[in-house]
Amino acid sequence: MQTDSGLQTSLTLPSPSQGEGRVRGSSYATGPVTKAPAWHGLVAWDMLFNGMTTGLFLVAAISELVAPDVFTSVAKAAYPVALALLLVDLLYLVLDLGDPLRFHHMLRVFKPSSPMSLGTWCLTIYSLPLTVAAAISLLPAGWITLESVRRLAVVIGLLPALGSAVYKGVLLSTSSQLGWKDARWLGGYLTNSALILGCAEMFVLSVLMGHVRAAAILRPALGLLLVLNLIPLCLLLADLRTTLLRIYTHWELYGVGALSLGGGMLIPLCLLLVVDSSLFMLGAVMCILLGSLVIRFVIVKLPHASA
Amino acid sequence: MASREMELSGLPQTGDPPRGPLSAILGRLIDPFRRGAPPEPRPPTGFFTDTTVCIGCKACEVACKAWNELAADGFHWSGNSYDNTETLSATSWRHVKFIEQFPADHSPSQPVPEAPKPSGTGFSLDVLLNETKEGRWLMMSDVCKHCVTAPCQQACPTGAIIHTEFENVFIQPDICNGCSSCIAACPFGVITRSNVDGHSHKCTLCYDRQRDGLVPACAKACPTQSIQFGPIDELRERAHSRVEELHSRGVTDAYLYGDTPSKSYSELNSFYLLVDRPSVYGLPNNPFNPWLHMKGDYVRAIVSGLTAIAALVTVLFLLGS
Amino acid sequence: MSGLGTSFGFGAASNHPRDLANSDCILVMGSNMAESHPVGFHWPVQAQQRGSVLIHVDPRYTRTSAVADVFVKIRPGTDIAFLGGIIRYIFENERYFKEYVVHYTNAATLIADEYRHEEDAGLFAGFNPSTGSYDLIPGAWEYMCEPRPDGARGLPRTDPTLQNPVCVLQILERHYARYTPQAVSRVCGCRPEDVIKVAELLCRNSGRERTSAIAYALGWTQHSTGSQMIRAAAIIQLLLGNVGRPGGGVLALRGHACIQGATDIPVLFDMLPGYLPQPRAVLGHATLAQYLSNGKSYLARRGDVPNGLWQEDVVRGAWSDMPKFTISLLKAWYGEGATQENDYRYAWLPKIDEDLSEMSYFVKMHQGHIRGTFLMGQNPAAGGPNARLHRDALRRLDWLVIRDFFETESASFWYADPEVTDPKAIPTEVFLLPAASVVEKDGSFTNTERMIQWHDRAVLPPGDCRSDSWFAYDLGKRLKALYSDSIRERDAPLRHLTWDYDGGDLGIEGEPDTEKVLREINGYHLGERRQLRGPAELASDGSTACGCWLYCGIFPEERTNRARSKGNQLRGTSVYGEWAWTWPENRRILYNRASADPQGRPWSERKKLIWWDEAAQRWTGHDVPDFEIDKAPGYRPSADAQGMAAIAGDAPFRMHPDGRGWLYVPYGLKDGPLPVFYEPLESPFLNTLVRQQSDPLTVVPADPMNPIVPPGDPDYPLIATTYRLTEHYLSGPMSRFDSWLGELQPEMFVEISPELGGERGVANGDWVVVSTPRGEIEARALVTPRLKPVIVDGRPAHTVGMPIHWGYAGETVGAIVNDLSPLSLDPNADIHSAKSFVCQLRPGRLQHLSPPTPLPIAPIPTTEAPIPDTPAAAQPAGRFRHGQ
Repeated sequence: MQTDSGLQTSLTLPSPSQGEGRVRGSSYATGPVTKAPAWHGLVAWDMLFNGMTTGLFLVAAISELVAPDVFTSVAKAAYPVALALLLVDLLYLVLDLGDPLRFHHMLRVFKPSSPMSLGTWCLTIYSLPLTVAAAISLLPAGWITLESVRRLAVVIGLLPALGSAVYKGVLLSTSSQLGWKDARWLGGYLTNSALILGCAEMFVLSVLMGHVRAAAILRPALGLLLVLNLIPLCLLLADLRTTLLRIYTHWELYGVGALSLGGGMLIPLCLLLVVDSSLFMLGAVMCILLGSLVIRFVIVKLPHASA
Repeated sequence: MASREMELSGLPQTGDPPRGPLSAILGRLIDPFRRGAPPEPRPPTGFFTDTTVCIGCKACEVACKAWNELAADGFHWSGNSYDNTETLSATSWRHVKFIEQFPADHSPSQPVPEAPKPSGTGFSLDVLLNETKEGRWLMMSDVCKHCVTAPCQQACPTGAIIHTEFENVFIQPDICNGCSSCIAACPFGVITRSNVDGHSHKCTLCYDRQRDGLVPACAKACPTQSIQFGPIDELRERAHSRVEELHSRGVTDAYLYGDTPSKSYSELNSFYLLVDRPSVYGLPNNPFNPWLHMKGDYVRAIVSGLTAIAALVTVLFLLGS
Repeated sequence: MSGLGTSFGFGAASNHPRDLANSDCILVMGSNMAESHPVGFHWPVQAQQRGSVLIHVDPRYTRTSAVADVFVKIRPGTDIAFLGGIIRYIFENERYFKEYVVHYTNAATLIADEYRHEEDAGLFAGFNPSTGSYDLIPGAWEYMCEPRPDGARGLPRTDPTLQNPVCVLQILERHYARYTPQAVSRVCGCRPEDVIKVAELLCRNSGRERTSAIAYALGWTQHSTGSQMIRAAAIIQLLLGNVGRPGGGVLALRGHACIQGATDIPVLFDMLPGYLPQPRAVLGHATLAQYLSNGKSYLARRGDVPNGLWQEDVVRGAWSDMPKFTISLLKAWYGEGATQENDYRYAWLPKIDEDLSEMSYFVKMHQGHIRGTFLMGQNPAAGGPNARLHRDALRRLDWLVIRDFFETESASFWYADPEVTDPKAIPTEVFLLPAASVVEKDGSFTNTERMIQWHDRAVLPPGDCRSDSWFAYDLGKRLKALYSDSIRERDAPLRHLTWDYDGGDLGIEGEPDTEKVLREINGYHLGERRQLRGPAELASDGSTACGCWLYCGIFPEERTNRARSKGNQLRGTSVYGEWAWTWPENRRILYNRASADPQGRPWSERKKLIWWDEAAQRWTGHDVPDFEIDKAPGYRPSADAQGMAAIAGDAPFRMHPDGRGWLYVPYGLKDGPLPVFYEPLESPFLNTLVRQQSDPLTVVPADPMNPIVPPGDPDYPLIATTYRLTEHYLSGPMSRFDSWLGELQPEMFVEISPELGGERGVANGDWVVVSTPRGEIEARALVTPRLKPVIVDGRPAHTVGMPIHWGYAGETVGAIVNDLSPLSLDPNADIHSAKSFVCQLRPGRLQHLSPPTPLPIAPIPTTEAPIPDTPAAAQPAGRFRHGQ
């Protein structure tokens, strides 16, 4: 029987007296009533790349705006990366459609009450200032006007980027699917996670580009975000507890927990805090990425797992 | 009557003009964005399905497939009573469910006493004539519920899913791009995406037939008028009197599902008369519209994001200056 | 058919399905109406909505039972016991409709002393153990008649007070006294109260103000005692006064769209059109005069005697017009050349000298006596009882012509049958000719309510497909051409056969004008060159021709085809008199004189149908009166009145010489004037009601492939019953080549109870092998409580239910259930016993046969091309393709 989120209904149901004691009850009563959409691995990757691009842009933009002298050069490297990630993400989204050649139909209506529509528009609008910013970032340094144009683009892109980060989780939780429909904190978790990914990517960029100061600032920032991420994660797990217990065995849950929490958070945290080597830093970021991917796969698989 | 069908076949027919390849490509790009004049709103229509007179003949399934030229779903014997369709799908828009409910005891009916007794003794005729039939075989023709507030319509990002002028939920097949948001949203598990064309499909409430003044194929084919079609208020009135009549005849389990809105879900324009819990029929006991959560979820997501951003800003500020 | 024909006069449904909405109580027994007649089932459901009671008595809990108000489960084949229990209840509580019974039935008639029913033995007088038939006392069972001064038989003696111990009512009551609820329960497996319940409901809903109907189908006819089961129902309806009344009667639910027509204008071996008997090669049928003077029921005589009660048909009642019917038929066939001098060419009619019913001639075929066969729209390789014998018989033919729209089991028997290892070894030359489907030809249907409806073709048949009328017409023309030069007397009938039906649709060359055929069936006046307006115009002097006297009146004028009528004015509560045309003479409810009391007033306002209009001195009402329109209710015939004048003004059953409904059938049924419960031919149980185990007159063709299981054989302890599902049709050619239907029931399965499944270790979905001495099949098991066994004589009676629809040809293939059934013929109608025989069941699969190969599922839609003249947005929604 499906669990509801507690709202009362006015429907008076018949007493189960006739139904009990019957042999051959209905087979329609077992198993979920809903159908699962054909969203599989591609969507999990899309969620990851979505988080990576929006997170990177947001972190880059914020760090550039808050401490421009430290982060501008890293940010300028970040925007083209974010654009590339965005293009990959958009490719995944288009390929995931049943009829990819009709992807442009998404822009037929602007329907903010539909998370998918809002997300599509956010991504579309986000892509424009990002393209401008990335293009200008790639040009050789110079002209002040271009710089201010770039700054403006970055500022304009902040809201759509946040929207793009936010919509995916809300899209999944605003559904009737097993697991998702109870996950009130899914959007919260994914948005938070996006920022972690962005921070991690910024951090990697700083390390690779040799910007020691930027790296030094981002390292504790990343650590703090990782720890803070526990809050939405725990809230999400609380939402999903009954579903997870129903569809997975205890051992499976431990395994997943080890991969995502252990691999995605504890280990990188240790790597970050304890050892001071760029290799370990990179390793930490890889762990974060991997952990995030695992969690996203688990989330995507929820409706498909048989009850 | 078939007279209307005969009238229609006499009307002038038109086809599409021929198109070259460039025109076709431009058409694909531009046509979906064209807007026409919306049709005049008409009185809302729907289905009232009285499952107590359903005989499980599946004429509704076949009529729907015949009218819409839907392919067969493949041959699979389910072993679940007489239901081999098993689920609604992109090519099955009607699905008849069978639920056998018989007493659990496996002992055969009571043995006959050895010595013949004079007839007419040992029981009351009134009790005998009014006893309930032992065992039930419930049958129900499942279909899209055509919810007045439909989560699929709320989810659809391309605007393919609309409420027609008859207040039925309709997926425009030339717009849908198969994103499957509607599938995720439907609490009744109605919509399915086709593997052949990648679009989502479901019952159209025979929108094409309604526009020409005809009755939907399934309602027309149903031999016992279990599936009734008409203006929705008329159907609701009829349904209420039918429930009252059943109650007066001793069928106290009868009730209507989806005729009135609940706190968590709107009315259904395709509503049912059932005699057991909805879950027995594979329907949600308390359907819930996911959009009731949407605002809260956005708030939570944005707050989460902003919190992380705030933490980041703090660190940057503290360490960056 | 024999059951209804002998009881009421016509062997056809007395009322129409729509009329069931008028019934206050409907007993559906020997029928699974919701599954087999879903569209007609609309009417019982309507009746329920109006407060009527729907009762279903059946061995299985089916989709009909699901909707019924009352369901009683009985063992297959025990229907007569149950009905006998109801009859006994009616007598015990004196619930029969007295006024109706006295005036309208033969309840008051006295039976001659030679009637003797050995109650315990279960046999009637005159049984000859050596011949196995009732031929020892030819005059047994007959009415006691007043002797006439000249020694001829007078009118039957009656006792209107119903007290005489040898009056029919008393005999009936004594006969059914042993069918107590306990005795019935012991036989049927139901509770004793169930008999009382059903009987009480029927009784409460009969009488002046209320009527009940009984609807039956092949659940009754496909038994060795089928005709007697129907007789028992007829007795109940006559006792309760339901026959000829709105909402009453016995509705024979016939199983095909045109099966009624197929017996009205028959290709049956033993009947001419209009239920005239096919002449036999006996002295009594040597000449036309003898044929006519011996009458319709000559063949009902038991023993070779020249006289008997059966001759009454010639003198009194509507069958006295048999000369008019016969001669008009001969004129229709042989035209101007048929004259009184040559006996209207009566000599050219084939005279039967043996049993040539379908099963018997297949046995002959099996024994090598038949060289070639035409099969037109028939599939005996899967549909024939003991199908293995049928297939083996087909393999003995020199040639086979088969017409169908698909390559059915009968067309592909020589290679697709899994039993065939080497097609080359089969000598039969098979010609498969494509047939046009129902929408590709003009013609009429005659359905279960005797209604003839015309329909026009909608599309031309594709390619070489041709209608059956085209084929028969063309074959006739070729045969006539082939024998045109012959001088042999035996070829004269073919040369002189009237055979001009040219003028059909110009779209098909050689297509006959089927309306010409219907005009001939209606009949015409040769001299005046006009159509006949009704059977009253038929003559026996050769001036009229008529293909079937029952249909006379359907085409009253050159251009008036009443089968095309589409009037929709409702009269009364169910009569649409202007919609199409029913025989006889557009009467919708037969014997409707009985809807009025002996004085001609309706029994009640609520149930009025026709009544006597004193002012106009004629019968009037909602339906065409099934009675002479101006015969007053008070008319009483003189002692030597003949023909219709011998029928009184209060005798509704005009086809009988006494004008009464026959509770007791003095002649016409071979196995007895009253139904006795006999066990089915094959049964795990012994008869506990009478000593005679099964119907002694059941015919079992002797053939090594047709062994019958003796009663109570422990090797075959399970009862097998076969039936239809809604989703498929008969042996499958009409449905298993259609994926929309195939996917609804995609596999052959057998239904068993959880109790039997537990006993044999079979779970739902397991493969099982069902076997009888005739053959073995494998199928999936559907374990369902709907087949819970009943307790019979102290032990469970397990039933194995098997749908008949599968074979080895089609998109969905499976075992042929008829491989298991026995070949036996019921004594009166030559119908096989498909509804109860015995079998054994075990889990597992057949090892020695490879499963049949299905056809690939044809794509839908069948064409890639869009529907012409239709915009893309209006194409059928299912025509979806990628990238469009």
